Amino acid sequence: MTVVTGRFLIVIGCVVAIIVGGFLIEVLLSLQSGWLFGHTQTGHVVGWIGLAVILTVFVYPIKKRDGRESGWPKGWFMVHQAAGIVGPLLILIHAGPHFHALVPILALLAMIIVVVSGVIGVAVHRKALRLLNAARRELLSQGLSYEDAEDRLYDLASGEETFRIWQMIHTPVVVMFLVLVIAHVLGALYFGGV
Amino acid sequence: MRFLPLPGSTVRFVVIVTALLLAWLVWGSFKHPEAFWAPGNLSRFHADIVACGDCHQPFRGATVGKCIVCHEEKRFAARSRPMVSEFHQKWIREGKSCAGCHTEHRGALAQITVGAMVNPHGEFIFRATGTSSCSACHDISAGFKSRTHLLDNAIVRHLMEEGEGAHRPGKMASCLACHIGGRLEIEEEDD
Repeated sequence: MTVVTGRFLIVIGCVVAIIVGGFLIEVLLSLQSGWLFGHTQTGHVVGWIGLAVILTVFVYPIKKRDGRESGWPKGWFMVHQAAGIVGPLLILIHAGPHFHALVPILALLAMIIVVVSGVIGVAVHRKALRLLNAARRELLSQGLSYEDAEDRLYDLASGEETFRIWQMIHTPVVVMFLVLVIAHVLGALYFGGV
Repeated sequence: MRFLPLPGSTVRFVVIVTALLLAWLVWGSFKHPEAFWAPGNLSRFHADIVACGDCHQPFRGATVGKCIVCHEEKRFAARSRPMVSEFHQKWIREGKSCAGCHTEHRGALAQITVGAMVNPHGEFIFRATGTSSCSACHDISAGFKSRTHLLDNAIVRHLMEEGEGAHRPGKMASCLACHIGGRLEIEEEDD
């Protein structure tokens, strides 16, 4: 197993553990109160807090695209990563393993895809890219031509390409996620009351 | 770190998919509102309700005004025990919400009253007997907190006969041990 594959499996393992953990907390809270936790007032508050935390995630891409900003907003990237884990975890506790209405199910699914693609982008794709660049430099320094080096790096490069796909879907799925979240919130307020 | 803007083709793809998603949400909300929005199936008490608007008022939730359209005050008082009727009338007079104690969308066989006496048989018993109340088989006149007493009526007698010995006092709390998955039929055990 390569370093990158190992990392990928660790990331998937952690994501599964977080999903199971979040759902388990909701189940325990539901058993304690006798109501589905997500339908209680506390459950709603947890949902709102989760949404607020998730919204802080968007400061980083806005700053990144803002032409007036000089340099890469590293601090906001840290917030992006931390809030991108904490917010969804709160949403998992709010939602619990209850799947009925299509809108929240799809919103949850989109959220999980966004988080997984983001984490893979940071933890796996970046590592794969670093390894590829280091190996390419090493081969070029040994006197190999660029084409020969690329031939030898075929496996590493195709691995990097695969994980880049995850990074590429990150932003487009965010848009679907936002549409579904707004629909879910509006639906909850429409049917459940403001 | 490098910042690569999304390619134009990706932006176009996202715009088209988002537009399709919105159109699908609007279509589904009119065509299949329960599948799109309901957090669970309605209970057996409200299974006949077809429109969300029968119980939900836009942006106000399930209001008392909607509840009493069907649970009309005089009819409710006539059909319930005085203690239950008075309790509910007082609650409504105080401007409290029905949703304070009652819930919905928890499945066809779920309890809808929070804090109600736990049904030791599970909700399966109502489906099996075709009844809708504990008092169909039990004398609960002494109140919910006293030990319930089994009535000697046609429903109870039929249930006892059907069980061929399995349906007897002390053995009725675990219906699903034999009626696996909530099925009325039970599988014969191999000898």
